[in-house]
Amino acid sequence: MAVHKRSYRSYAGALTPAWSRFTIITRYAFRNLFRSRMLTAYFVCCFFYPLGCAAVIYVNHNLSLLTSLNIREVLAIDADFFMHFLAVQSAFAFILTAIVGPGLVSPDLANNALPLYLCRPFSRAEYVIGKMAILLWLLSLITWIPGLVLFGIQASLAGAPWAWANIGLAWGIFIGSAIEILVFSLLSLAISAWIKRKIAAGAALLGVFFFGSGLAQVINAVLETKNGYLIDLGNLLTTVEGSLFGHANPVGISASSAWIALLAACVFCIALLERKVRAYEIVVG
Amino acid sequence: MSEATAQTRIVFEDVSKFYGDVLGVNRVNLSVPPGITSLVGPNGSGKTTLMNLMTGLVQPTRGRISVLGIAPDDPERLFRVVGYCTQFDSFPRGMSGYQFIYSYLRLFGYPHAQSSELAMRAIERVSLTDAAGRKIAGYSKGMRQRIKLAQAICHNPSVLVLDEPLNGLDPLIRAETIALFRALAAEGLHLIISSHVLHEVDVISDQVILLSNGYVVAEGQIQGVREEIQEHPMQVLIRCDKPGELASQIFQNDYVVEARIHNDRQGVLVKTRDADRFYLLLNKIAQNGVDIESVAPADDDVLSVYEYLIGTEESTK
Amino acid sequence: MSERPWGFWWTQVRATMRLELKRTLFSRRGIWVYFLAVMPVVIFAGNSLYRMKTGKPGDIGEDTHTFAAIFQLFYLRLAIFFGCVGIFMNLFRGEVLDKSLHYYFLAPVRRTVLLAGKFVSGLVAAILIFETSMVLQFFSLYWYFDSGTRQEYFFHGHGLAHLAAYIGVTLLACLGYGSVFLAAGVMFRNPLLPTAAVLIWEAINPILPSVLQHISVIFYLKSLCPVMIAGDISLDKGNPLGFIAMNPSPASAVTAVLGLLALAIVAVAFSGRLLRHMEIDYGSD
Repeated sequence: MAVHKRSYRSYAGALTPAWSRFTIITRYAFRNLFRSRMLTAYFVCCFFYPLGCAAVIYVNHNLSLLTSLNIREVLAIDADFFMHFLAVQSAFAFILTAIVGPGLVSPDLANNALPLYLCRPFSRAEYVIGKMAILLWLLSLITWIPGLVLFGIQASLAGAPWAWANIGLAWGIFIGSAIEILVFSLLSLAISAWIKRKIAAGAALLGVFFFGSGLAQVINAVLETKNGYLIDLGNLLTTVEGSLFGHANPVGISASSAWIALLAACVFCIALLERKVRAYEIVVG
Repeated sequence: MSEATAQTRIVFEDVSKFYGDVLGVNRVNLSVPPGITSLVGPNGSGKTTLMNLMTGLVQPTRGRISVLGIAPDDPERLFRVVGYCTQFDSFPRGMSGYQFIYSYLRLFGYPHAQSSELAMRAIERVSLTDAAGRKIAGYSKGMRQRIKLAQAICHNPSVLVLDEPLNGLDPLIRAETIALFRALAAEGLHLIISSHVLHEVDVISDQVILLSNGYVVAEGQIQGVREEIQEHPMQVLIRCDKPGELASQIFQNDYVVEARIHNDRQGVLVKTRDADRFYLLLNKIAQNGVDIESVAPADDDVLSVYEYLIGTEESTK
Repeated sequence: MSERPWGFWWTQVRATMRLELKRTLFSRRGIWVYFLAVMPVVIFAGNSLYRMKTGKPGDIGEDTHTFAAIFQLFYLRLAIFFGCVGIFMNLFRGEVLDKSLHYYFLAPVRRTVLLAGKFVSGLVAAILIFETSMVLQFFSLYWYFDSGTRQEYFFHGHGLAHLAAYIGVTLLACLGYGSVFLAAGVMFRNPLLPTAAVLIWEAINPILPSVLQHISVIFYLKSLCPVMIAGDISLDKGNPLGFIAMNPSPASAVTAVLGLLALAIVAVAFSGRLLRHMEIDYGSD
């Protein structure tokens, strides 16, 4: 019988706590993402508009400058201002999602890398949360975080009464951004999980928004209804955000219908992810 | 090189290939005769680039290539005589093994009946007849390797280029495949094989081409290559009844660098700079009462040559 | 083999088509293209069924305008556009992503013959899918009218002429967009960016100056449509600054057809040129 001296020593050091293990995926993904100069440049561009808005708020409160320009204010800093800010940043967020999202899960599926993740003490939910956290972070950095910073700047310059009177705007910025980030992230992850080719997944994400919007118009025009908007994700998000800022959608559907439709879209995406993110794939031969 | 010779050989004339700033192969000059030729070298040494160049999948940055007198940028003529089994483990989606070979043959312009017959014959040669109707997506790694081989040989080419063809094959199929290679070489085909499994290369090759960092470091029959390596004396193991006496007799000669009694004390391991003179000396010693059982070169195999020319460090990569 | 073995090349084109048509028309990956084509038919048919059941009257003139708007704003710009992205980019870029293009390159087929085979396959598939859908849309739109009205419209009114025009425009749309996306698939490693660029260019076409509107596929397709939609009324007739007008005069039928044919020829020839020097390099995709 062969006798071998045991020389192998298993790792005995500290482990990442189970609750924060998903951040490992996020950390490494960030490192890879920002190797792309194009993405880095685009990400920087996403901050130009918030900087412009900050400048407008500053100028609005600079009495001497306003006096020299002989105007009362550059722009009214109200619900419309913040809603417009969110609409512009949403467009940036969508493009960022289209660049980053398709590459999150599809390469792992195409290269059979999922078993490598899931053969470790790492659950499917942690994998999805880890991947999703990448988008949550990136999109937060360009939507509600600068939005709240702008709100803070305005509040500090206009004083506490303005802040208390408009505290609902801060909630609107945060909740509106959060629902948007959730929809973008879940949708791009679900598409990325179902379409193994990164490029095709990117095209599909564009298609879901643009084609969905077009189809909604066709349904509305032919069937003489407004329910077509239920499949127009862009319109649903605008309706929900409008309701948060106290604007009713005059042409579309009600805010509650939009909330329910978005919730249904999120549940559908989670079901797609649940079905596809598995350590094995059955190939019928 | 004469025109007639070029018609029977694979010729590389001062060929270089750069991928941007990255070197693929550089200043390669080769003339490969029929038989089994192995491309040997560590990962990234340029084996696959050389194969892709001779099949036109990549184009040389400089130099000229001809395969039996045909330029690789003339696919219509080239792939009538060349079959290439690539290293890519991917296939058109949704096809069975038979459909894959059959539709590939239809691209050649063969009619249905002939394509079907050639496809079945190739599948039979690689022992996949039972699985021919199954989807390739459900094949094992070894089966995928064999269906690729069938695709390369299905049109009866004169030149067969095989990139790591033995990867993923089990020992039995490996032996069958090597026998198939030998049979094809015996029919007069050029077989260009790249492999990391050096002892298999040693067994099947008529000649080897050793590559390192994009350069051809040696080419030819393995024994010939070994003799060219001056800085590493040839090693010969002599099995005999009186190893001590044999060692003392041979060590007196200046072309013997080292004579060491083997660990089992039943032979002598000799290092010599001049193998021919050493063998003559052995004849004399044998006549003088030392009973020699066997004389075997100890390092004229591909592994030794590989280690001498490319280095043990790289060989372990 | 003769100097120009046309018969042999045709055999090879047919062999390529056999492979490609199967891949495009009968693969699970291509189902979404059918979805793009079928959705308008379902909506029109649903509308007709609803009207037949409820007896709600319709107006053939109004429906003709609705169809014209949907055809131009939805079917051409979104359904055929994305359908052609899927079909034609898949011909070469899809094979590169699947790492299976080398099998074609290892056959004794001229690359230009291969290109011809693949392009014709894509065109046949796109025409088959989108022409069938278009004809079904047309008939399902007028399905709920009584047979007398239908016969009057088709055989004594504009019905058949409009149908013929829409069939022609659909064919040219497949040819125009198909050739553009074939070239993009051969030229770009990531064709998503050119796709997005073309999508945006085609979408903003109506608000571009006249001279720029002429550099698009949709302008010529719109020019050939039998019914003009609101907003397309020409503003540049007799106007010295007509080249910056946003609603230029439509191109004549001959110019439009020849322009689209010329675009297709140039794009396919350019693809052939690129393909002749194309190398197999899956690693960087």
